[in-house]
Amino acid sequence: QAAPQVVLNVPETQVTCLENGLRVASENSGLSTCTVGLWIDAGSRYENEKNNGTAHFLEHMAFKGTKKRSQLDLELEIENMGAHLNAYTSREQTVYYAKAFSRDLPRAVEILADIIQNSTLGEAEIERERGVILREMQEVETNLQEVVFDYLHATAYQNTALGRTILGPTENIKSINRKDLVDYITTHYKGPRIVLAAAGGVCHNELLELAKFHFGDSLCSHKGAIPALPPCKFTGSEIRVRDDKMPLAHLAIAVEAVGWAHPDTICLMVANTLIGNWDRSFGGGMNLSSKLAQLTCHGNLCHSFQSFNTSYTDTGLWGLYMVCEQATVADMLHVVQNEWKRLCTDVTESEVARAKNLLKTNMLLQLDGSTPICEDIGRQMLCYNRRIPIPELEARIDAVDAETVRRVCTKYIHDKSPAIAALGPIERLPDFNQICSNMRWIRD
Amino acid sequence: SGATYPNIPLSSPLPGVPKPIFATVDGQEKFETKVTTLDNGLRVASQNKFGQFCTVGILINSGSRYEAKYLSGIAHFLEKLAFSSTARFDSKDEILLTLEKHGGICDCQTSRDTTMYAVSADSKGLDTVVDLLADVVLHPRLTDEEIEMTRMAVQFELEDLNMRPDPEPLLTEMIHEAAFRENTVGLHRFCPVENIAKIDREVLHSYLKNYYTPDRMVLAGVGVEHEHLVECARKYLVGAEPAWGAPGTVDVDRSVAQYTGGIIKVERDMSNVSLGPTPIPELTHIMVGLESCSFLEDDFIPFAVLNMMMGGGGSFSAGGPGKGMFSRLYLNVLNRHHWMYNATSYHHSYEDTGLLCIHASADPRQVREMVEIITKEFILMGRTVDLVELERAKTQLMSMLMMNLESRPVIFEDVGRQVLATHSRKLPHELCTLIRNVKPEDIKRVASKMLRGKPAVAALGDLTDLPTYEHIQAALSSRNGHLPRSYRLFR
Repeated sequence: QAAPQVVLNVPETQVTCLENGLRVASENSGLSTCTVGLWIDAGSRYENEKNNGTAHFLEHMAFKGTKKRSQLDLELEIENMGAHLNAYTSREQTVYYAKAFSRDLPRAVEILADIIQNSTLGEAEIERERGVILREMQEVETNLQEVVFDYLHATAYQNTALGRTILGPTENIKSINRKDLVDYITTHYKGPRIVLAAAGGVCHNELLELAKFHFGDSLCSHKGAIPALPPCKFTGSEIRVRDDKMPLAHLAIAVEAVGWAHPDTICLMVANTLIGNWDRSFGGGMNLSSKLAQLTCHGNLCHSFQSFNTSYTDTGLWGLYMVCEQATVADMLHVVQNEWKRLCTDVTESEVARAKNLLKTNMLLQLDGSTPICEDIGRQMLCYNRRIPIPELEARIDAVDAETVRRVCTKYIHDKSPAIAALGPIERLPDFNQICSNMRWIRD
Repeated sequence: SGATYPNIPLSSPLPGVPKPIFATVDGQEKFETKVTTLDNGLRVASQNKFGQFCTVGILINSGSRYEAKYLSGIAHFLEKLAFSSTARFDSKDEILLTLEKHGGICDCQTSRDTTMYAVSADSKGLDTVVDLLADVVLHPRLTDEEIEMTRMAVQFELEDLNMRPDPEPLLTEMIHEAAFRENTVGLHRFCPVENIAKIDREVLHSYLKNYYTPDRMVLAGVGVEHEHLVECARKYLVGAEPAWGAPGTVDVDRSVAQYTGGIIKVERDMSNVSLGPTPIPELTHIMVGLESCSFLEDDFIPFAVLNMMMGGGGSFSAGGPGKGMFSRLYLNVLNRHHWMYNATSYHHSYEDTGLLCIHASADPRQVREMVEIITKEFILMGRTVDLVELERAKTQLMSMLMMNLESRPVIFEDVGRQVLATHSRKLPHELCTLIRNVKPEDIKRVASKMLRGKPAVAALGDLTDLPTYEHIQAALSSRNGHLPRSYRLFR
């Protein structure tokens, strides 16, 4: 009997693994432009107290010249092609990618290969980059959401690698040297931990040939073992930084959730969508599918809130970020915790059905344009070692019902001690024990 | 129940899921835009696109530029009221629920001259989507409660606009006001605070009656079959009497934009704009602009290339090579004067006019120096253009165009706006040919013409050391862009 089939109006993600373990994954949609990049399974989580900031420092050095190209040559070449070169570092991943005309794909791959394999890491450039990174740090510090999320990680994953920031402390930025950078590359930038992903106007066979040519002989996997994932234990705890001069309070509260590939992750994403996002300039109507939005809007309890589900390999943070006025901090938190309780005990079938639809919509509509698609391919290849076909993703979401949400949420929320980060005029934030006691209720 | 939820990690395939048959593309994506005009004047435009989703919406020749005879702020209100209750839907929630069934989301955006109601959804839901859009645009209830909610949302938006550390939206508003004093695109894009309480259903209806007419609308779709879209348009958008009554004689403001030039100053203490414990340095912001041309003129393309050539950005901005590192505002301004925080070129273009402007910011004590650096850059626009820099700017403009057009909502907006303005669409490859043909003398010609006009200036922050408007004007009419020397007898 033939297996059932479903016809899709999207192209397939083709995946090939090279002998050295590097995976090549692409999706061709026939555009005249493309995105191609390297997704590397290495970020600040693989650093220790002394070299924290190295992965990020390295990302900065990638554009500072190679054995073949000076920094100026590289910049001119990219700009004259009408291309873009970009990079970012997160706690678990480092990404280098280029956007270019499809006809320039070979050049883009060659440049990417050059910058991650032949970077000069010149002493003078390293010295100059310290100043740039310290300036970037100042910029990050003016973004209060980023500050609060760094605090949240610092408390939730205290004394572990996930608790540290991506940029690293000032002392490290001032002291990281060439050897630290070279060591990081030789330890982590290895074939089996790298994905070459592409989307837009890209032919998989062409990409494969380019990958073999530029990466085939290098990035060998046999030199040394892949380092083990450092354990990162979650600790229910809090950080409060009271500053009554600030106009608004910025808070995040989270419980420990699960890693990327854990079966419960889909259900937690549905729950996350159900809580939703809201901003007071939306007015009353925009996100009424969220009960929390209705309550905060009518009670004038906050300026904005945003639910999040941040995943890592083996752990995750599921929670809410909110911005409130000083007077409403306690009421807002109370309403949030009530909603969380409701998720575990009384969430209705119709709410869950809606959240499922919204989640599917958000996931699918986001896959628009070569860069978001390429990002999705690269990320999924690192997290799942495959790209999940859309029908499977939909089937997994469809399998969630109200009972699943209640069961899974209870597992991660009920009687769990949360991690809290709060910044600003937070005098009225209840004490930690009281917040913890609101995570408990009598179960029937 | 709940028993079917699989306990299988996402790294392993889920058994029992139908095997997908994927689509394949042969060769490169081809663009073809089809346009049909219906008997009532409504235009229907479509563009095919690969994929499971479509973006469909209604674009209307409506926005703040048409508010001269009305209370300013109507378009802002209509944007916030979009997708609220209609004749057939009791609430916004019902609308969202209907869309969610087709994996859809909705959005309304208004600019100075165009209002767009758009939906992105599964292509299979096209009928429902057009039906819903027709109801949203032509039959909104505009209940007292909804209007009250909108008043609050507008109030909040204005507060956020003034609190935000990024002054760009405010400066853009100010320079339009300076450049087109009290007319068309110079009218306020955001509702003035004093009008919030005054705008009600009656005011909105009197405006809608004149501006929400089929001949001022385009139904545009991307990722849809043209015939199907036309059929839906006939079914839902022809012959329906709108909520504000039968179309009678309409009174439409046909004023052509009058460029006046001038200055708008907002003195403000910017010494403490940070919302957190980390201070943001005190900056004074200026924007200097000159009239360019309408997007309907041939010179529009050289102006777009010139804008790319000027480029610029923040002295600290994320992003690697490709952000315009060799544009003039980086090379001549930000790389040479490290005390400057920003120097960015913008080009605003409308059906009857345009504005090319440069935003710059620095410490209040260096405002005079900053203004002179910018006026010098304006003068240099009319001088020799290097062939290498021109080719780079052209390639970057083409790549920006093509990269933006990867995204379905952007294609939708491009199709809609072009058809709304010209009844047809210049396809991306045609635009690329026009860009490729731009010569150094074209840049010189359009820049020299532009420099003969009067400047528009917006200034925000501590303005103690701001040169006078007359001095800025004199600098822009001089050979070298220098400000006249000022003799300060009393300081």
